[in-house]
Amino acid sequence: MQLKFFRASKPSETLEDEIELDITPLMNIFIILVAFLVSMAIFTRLAIVEFTLPPNVDSSMNNLQEKPQPKLTVRLDNHYVGLVLGDKLLDSLPNVNSVIPFDSLSKRLLVRASETDFKGEIVVASVDQIPFKTIVKAMDICRGAGFSKVGLSSAITDPGVSE
Amino acid sequence: MKARDLHKGLDKGGTFRPQLTSLVDIMVILLFFLIQSFSVEGNLVTPSTDLELPLSDASKSPQPYCNLHITQTQVLVDDEVIVTNQKIASSEDFMIPELFKMMKAQAVKNKDSLSKGKLIIQADKEIPFAIVKKVMFTCSKAGFDDFKVLVVQEE
Repeated sequence: MQLKFFRASKPSETLEDEIELDITPLMNIFIILVAFLVSMAIFTRLAIVEFTLPPNVDSSMNNLQEKPQPKLTVRLDNHYVGLVLGDKLLDSLPNVNSVIPFDSLSKRLLVRASETDFKGEIVVASVDQIPFKTIVKAMDICRGAGFSKVGLSSAITDPGVSE
Repeated sequence: MKARDLHKGLDKGGTFRPQLTSLVDIMVILLFFLIQSFSVEGNLVTPSTDLELPLSDASKSPQPYCNLHITQTQVLVDDEVIVTNQKIASSEDFMIPELFKMMKAQAVKNKDSLSKGKLIIQADKEIPFAIVKKVMFTCSKAGFDDFKVLVVQEE
């Protein structure tokens, strides 16, 4: 029965001769559409990272009379990453082969955020030599850990000197 | 090769008709790719070609505020070179006089606009923080208090 069916059907080449689909208008639409979409396409998506500056730098906060409350601070150093609250070093994560351990930092931040309510505020303090991409990455880690208000500050090169 | 194959693509009148199926396939794939990267808004801020922006998972769209570029070698405002990074690095002072003068003029220019006090910093990803902090300090003294950093969104 099935064999009979195949015999009854015409060869594909014969069908090709009979049915001719004109795809020229479709191609015209495609070419116009592609040109339009190329002009409107964005291949690199840009974004902005917002942050605040410490009170002594931000001109709008110069008039404050109250002593600022200590905030949880991520200290980026050439040799380690520290989580600092006021004068207290809460965590110290050594850099491995000069690479900052962002995964460990993320975990520690989540732990610290669950222990104390920091009202979503955190400061990223960096020493002078740290490249800008590392600071941006640290800010991302902080936001990922639930800190919505990220501040940027400068860290002294050797904390032992001031203490 | 069979004689039948040689005549493939020729219609009854003998004119050549190219096979467009594969071309249509390519067009469809191209169309899907372009629709995926289509944006109605476009980029409101044009990144400088002299620098490589850092990657970030931030998603907030940039607005057309005052722009300052920190490339590997110099600081630019409105495509005008203000000061070299070497000079900034060699100075002990946080204040950069040339930049302060320029930014003060920019702050006065934008004082009645919506972008008052707002600044987008486009800094190269490898720039040390020492340069960035001096630039920020100078700009804050010139009247800018709302800083934003331009980044490339991570996929």
